[in-house]
Amino acid sequence: MQHSDTLTLYDTSFNSRFLLGTALYRSPTQMSEAIKASGSEFITLSLRRQNPEQSDGDAFWQLIKETGCKLLPNTAGCKSAKEAINLAEMSRELFATDWIKLEVIGDDYNLQPDPFELVIAATELIKRGFKVLPYCTDDLVLCLRLRDAGCQVLMPWGAPIGTGQGLLNKYHLQSLRERITDIPLIIDAGLGSPSQAAAALEMGYDAVLLNTAVAKADDPVLMARAFSLAISAGRSGYLAGLMQRRQTAAPSTPVLGQPFWHQQ
Amino acid sequence: MPLSPSLNIAIVGAGLVGRLLAYQLSQHKLKISLYEANRLNSHTPANQLDAAAFTAAGMIAPISEALEADLDCYYLGTTSLALWPKIVSELNLKNAAQIHYQQSGSLIISHPQDRAELQHFSRATQRLANTTGAAFTALNGSDIRHLEPDIGNGFEQGILLPDEAHIDNRALMASLLQQCLKQEVKLIDDTAVEIDNNRVLYGQNRHSYDWVFDCRGIGAKVHRPELRGVRGELLRVYCPEVNFNRPIRLMHPRYQLYLVPKPGQQFVIGATQIESEDRSAMTVQSMLELCSAMYSINPAFAEARILEQNTNLRPALNNNKASVLVCDRHISINGLFRHGYLVAPAIVRSVIHWLQGQQCQHHKILFSTLEHP
Repeated sequence: MQHSDTLTLYDTSFNSRFLLGTALYRSPTQMSEAIKASGSEFITLSLRRQNPEQSDGDAFWQLIKETGCKLLPNTAGCKSAKEAINLAEMSRELFATDWIKLEVIGDDYNLQPDPFELVIAATELIKRGFKVLPYCTDDLVLCLRLRDAGCQVLMPWGAPIGTGQGLLNKYHLQSLRERITDIPLIIDAGLGSPSQAAAALEMGYDAVLLNTAVAKADDPVLMARAFSLAISAGRSGYLAGLMQRRQTAAPSTPVLGQPFWHQQ
Repeated sequence: MPLSPSLNIAIVGAGLVGRLLAYQLSQHKLKISLYEANRLNSHTPANQLDAAAFTAAGMIAPISEALEADLDCYYLGTTSLALWPKIVSELNLKNAAQIHYQQSGSLIISHPQDRAELQHFSRATQRLANTTGAAFTALNGSDIRHLEPDIGNGFEQGILLPDEAHIDNRALMASLLQQCLKQEVKLIDDTAVEIDNNRVLYGQNRHSYDWVFDCRGIGAKVHRPELRGVRGELLRVYCPEVNFNRPIRLMHPRYQLYLVPKPGQQFVIGATQIESEDRSAMTVQSMLELCSAMYSINPAFAEARILEQNTNLRPALNNNKASVLVCDRHISINGLFRHGYLVAPAIVRSVIHWLQGQQCQHHKILFSTLEHP
């Protein structure tokens, strides 16, 4: 049975469940090839350390636009709601999009989201008509608050940004998924290997967002492809329905006809 | 094949490639005109010149750079490493002002928090060494302090790349220009020009040449629409208390920072790498990052004097690789990105070979041809 299995974020449908970042590649050519290999339709980019007022010949933006992907500007590096709101407004103007990946960092050491500022920023940005995708921790109450603020997608971390540690707190992530079933959840940050992405999708997460694991691979193009396959596999696994784990072995073939020493 | 002395050549852009090409061609006794948009007199402070060559740190680091680029970069770099000593000693014989060139390796270190970056670097170095035979040595804390006593405690792992070198880039740029003038290269500075195949145009002037070499970097955008500038920020400081024997590279999650000793107890610390064509002054964030990196290597840098803060644009093509594009009589040499001192001698040698009707080992990775419209 073949379903059309699309990902819907704020009324926009995507065929791919892989959101990819555009930083840290060795060259723009390599970035474009990795994006192509990933099959991603939605890519994130940071405005923070650029000078948007100077639009003269922004060749790099042009290259990003040429990928044909939908752009998801982020507020990377912001440490307060006010900063994030300002940057979101600048991004909206520069990229002509009201989509924003909201990132408000509360700790420099592990780049952990600041839950308090995040809720303030999300509430305000939604009032201003933004489609907000907040990068948050896996704390259930924070996620509920963000949903109450009007976020129609949440992006909890798997692990701190750039660590490649994978899904550190599977228990939290599992309960989040069980409690929040009405809006898509995306694992954002911390993934290091394709199998970790597959595990997120198997768990029922709707998509993953990552950057470093692909960009810093020895072969980013091949790694983008690997993640893409893992994400499809994980999603199919989830849709197919995973078997229940059991405590004791259950043979898949009857054992009655076997000699007793084979049954030991 | 020797070059015919009747050849009339224009070189546009007196940055590193333009000067090196003019200097080396001038030894073949050709008629050479060197154009430059900036005014090149001794009163112009180096940091006010547009060419990225002045603000650069002047490292010739094929392994460190290849790890962030590719093998082509490594091979061009090792060719340049072999060529630089001859270029420098020739210039030092001819000019009173001496260029400091030192091949004492580079030292790669990281803070404990960034150890993963160092491990990544180490793994990539090992792989490169397996393919190319490049030399490297893994170091522990006491090895590091033995090589560089002025590196503070807390750096317990590192890598020495013994073949890498660095050059006093500003002395080199000055020496190259001086030699060009001695060899009767005609300098037309303070003059921005346009190029139309074999012609150089400015004001009412139309000069025709046998070949026009376009070495303008980011200024050549009109002919190479793909060209983009990548912002880099560097500091130059004076610090009499600290001595280093070689460039130090410090791992950082976003870019490799380096601290390069320069004559007169000066140090260049850089460089950020930001996808933007903004040339405005250094940001506070970058200043903090560069200064704290320096300070963390040795707290005596707290008392260093900041001599310059420089921002420049590295000319880059989409693949971040250097390219020689031949379009009839107009030869564009561009896209050296952050690898100017690393690849320029190899490129200039390839270009001269090509002019002599030969193909050198790097021809394939550098040259492409465009039909003249």
